[in-house]
Amino acid sequence: MDFELSEEQNLIRDVAARFLEDNWSSDIRRKGLDEPPATIPSELWSEIAAMGWLGISVGEDVGGGAQDMLSAAILAEAAGAALLPGPLISTMAAVTALDRSGNQSLRNAHIRALIQGDKRATLAVEEANGCWGPDRVEARAVLASDGSGTLTGTKILVPDGDGADLFLVAARLPDGLGLIAIAGDAPGLSVTPMRRMDGQAVVEVQLDGVPFDENAILASTDGDAERVLREAYDFWSVLLAADLLGISSAVLEITTEYAKERVQFGRPIGSFQAVSHKLADNLVDVEIGRSLLYGACLALDEEAPDREVLVSAAKAYLSDTAVSVSESGLQLHGGIGYTWELDIHLYLRQARCNAASLGDAAHHRERAATYLADSFG
Amino acid sequence: MDLTFSVQDEAFRARFRAWLEEAMAEYKEVMRAGGGNPLEQSRVWQAKLYEAGYLGMAWPRAYGGQEASLTEQVIVSEELARAKAPGTINTIGLTIAGPTIVQHGTEAQKQRFLPKILTAEELWCQGFSEPGAGSDLPALRTRAELKDDHFVVNGQKVWTSGAFFSNWCALLVRTDPSAPKRKGITYLLCDMKSPGIEVRPLRNAGGGSHFCEVFFDDVKIPRENMVGELHGGWQIARSTLEHERSGLSGVIALEGNLERLWQLASTIQRGDHKAIDEVMVRHQLVQMWFEKEGLRYLGFRNLSAQISGSGAGVSGSLGKLVNSQLRQKMASLGLEIAGPLASVAKKSPHVLDRGRWQAGYFDALGYSIGGGTSEIMHNAIAEGVLGLPHSADQ
Ligand SMILES: Cc1cc2nc3c(=O)[nH]c(=O)nc-3n(C[C@H](O)[C@H](O)[C@H](O)COP(=O)(O)OP(=O)(O)OC[C@H]3O[C@@H](n4cnc5c(N)ncnc54)[C@H](O)[C@@H]3O)c2cc1C
Repeated sequence: MDFELSEEQNLIRDVAARFLEDNWSSDIRRKGLDEPPATIPSELWSEIAAMGWLGISVGEDVGGGAQDMLSAAILAEAAGAALLPGPLISTMAAVTALDRSGNQSLRNAHIRALIQGDKRATLAVEEANGCWGPDRVEARAVLASDGSGTLTGTKILVPDGDGADLFLVAARLPDGLGLIAIAGDAPGLSVTPMRRMDGQAVVEVQLDGVPFDENAILASTDGDAERVLREAYDFWSVLLAADLLGISSAVLEITTEYAKERVQFGRPIGSFQAVSHKLADNLVDVEIGRSLLYGACLALDEEAPDREVLVSAAKAYLSDTAVSVSESGLQLHGGIGYTWELDIHLYLRQARCNAASLGDAAHHRERAATYLADSFG
Repeated sequence: MDLTFSVQDEAFRARFRAWLEEAMAEYKEVMRAGGGNPLEQSRVWQAKLYEAGYLGMAWPRAYGGQEASLTEQVIVSEELARAKAPGTINTIGLTIAGPTIVQHGTEAQKQRFLPKILTAEELWCQGFSEPGAGSDLPALRTRAELKDDHFVVNGQKVWTSGAFFSNWCALLVRTDPSAPKRKGITYLLCDMKSPGIEVRPLRNAGGGSHFCEVFFDDVKIPRENMVGELHGGWQIARSTLEHERSGLSGVIALEGNLERLWQLASTIQRGDHKAIDEVMVRHQLVQMWFEKEGLRYLGFRNLSAQISGSGAGVSGSLGKLVNSQLRQKMASLGLEIAGPLASVAKKSPHVLDRGRWQAGYFDALGYSIGGGTSEIMHNAIAEGVLGLPHSADQ
């Protein structure tokens, strides 16, 4: 029974926070809301790779850190708190998917270069159908008997897609769903820039009969491609939930400090219960959300039967939490909270965007309902 | 990070589970044979637990306890809940008076009181709240004057749960009216049969009579029944208020409630569909399950922090707040799912599930008041955890 961060994880957390404080600034994000979007400069990306972040939960044999899912989540949390753009998270999710899938040739071909920051990979799942997740994927992969195939469809909201070397594309295969690794320069693949409300660059990926080989399918050792896709989406969701936790606790801290200092009616506003009780509720949500996140990370590592429902719990709960904590943060700052200069709206924007990515709270509640109907039925 | 218990702990769990199964079967036989009133039945059950060594897990062996590890304590409460075992009766004795005596009592008090708390031979109540002192407990005024070898107590307590059947009362009294309010309070152990005590049960909002008014008229309490120092009672009371807010065992009860709610929603017909087919109903249930799981993993975080002594635990006020809010949300949803039948009285032949949803609703309302109100929990979180300034002059 040990459900606390290890000493090593505490260290990872502290180092990450300090590094991001020294090397990243929310001002970059503010500027990025006006053209052009804020991206992580390549020197910073190399440093992040050199610290071992990208491959933190990847096997040692390919140069990874061999840490658990929670360690990756701790980095994602720090990234959220520092308002670092999304490629860290999509990259960690993509390499984890490559690492844990049973496709050794793909893993060996790409993982080192990816975690060293020499190449970039991302995941392309969502489509313009008003839904989220693998179930509604319509991009179609056709396979010939010689093992060659073509892939057709359109993906949206793909992070880090501009200049990506490798796209892990969710598609409908002849016998179920799966992820297919497609090179960024594959013929028939084209990328159109999209933009998020929080100033992050994402892209639309057009796949027009893109050729691929069946060895490019990420399947488990027993040939289950759908499971690999679903797990990859879960890794990614849990890391995004961690990002949302980082946003929530950062805004709560900023607002709590403000409530101690700002004086009205001769008293700090934090002594008014309408203010302090709101902050207490925010803390409740942060701590419940954090507990769910830890539970989900552990369940993923252990491949526990309730891992999907726990991922959904963490993502849904922290989506709601990040939005509500950011909104009350804005409110409790008064006029200054409504200014462009204050960081709160940057957090709120990222909270809103990430809450609506990889399944919003309602999507995940619905997924959990299916699980609970089984277990209570 | 892992949530597995050690091999020894799992062996302990297996032993306890096997014992529990047998003990419950035997107990049900006794019940079926109509053995005594509910109070007597509970005593029988509790004595069984005690004799087998599964009660007073945290207490010293010398006074009938087990000195069990934290993980064994958790395992026992998990297994009891999982098996839907009958509750223990002496809650105040086991969770408030007992731990106070363990921590602060004299040797004589420990020997005198602890074993009989465990066996439920002596039942306890908590005489803290007064008409003028609830959330602001240190404002209490029940007066005790020390005369030679005993105190003479005059005043009134209120909301005293179970006072009418209790043998003893953990009592807070004012011994120094001139001192600042936290410095003039003393902690006494009061025999409820003492002359001058009058207990009047109060009917609660749900219709039951569980809590009481207790009047003290020149009640004599021997000095040897004082816990800790004269005028030092506030610190002692504070330290055990926290005992009331345990994490994991409460969560398992929530799990059971949620399962019953889900089953209700799956049976209730609403025209051409079941209640569970409605998104609003389904999503509320799921959200409550999320919160329940969050509380469970929070409990694991706290337990781990306790075991390691890292101090990284999360304040008990937070768990208490979420737990009581969640109980109330579940209870309200129970009535919503019941639909038109939510309005039917228990005595009416049309009542659903013998009125359990209505009763559960009123029962849940007390959770955000007893043991410190939700507003006071918010204050404790805001001030104690976030470090915000005090909301009122203290
Ligand atoms: C089911 C039940 C069982 C109980 N059992 C026992 C028992 O066994 N022994 C015992 O001693 N007591 C018991 N109590 C009493 C309980 O501890 C008190 O009712 C509780 O502490 C509140 O005190 P009060 O009733 O005087 O309300 P008050 O303190 O008068 O509160 C009234 C309202 O004002 C709010 N309020 C008060 N102060 C503040 C503040 N500083 N900031 C914000 N809001 C505030 C409260 O939250 C509440 O909503 C029980 C109560 C219940 C409901």
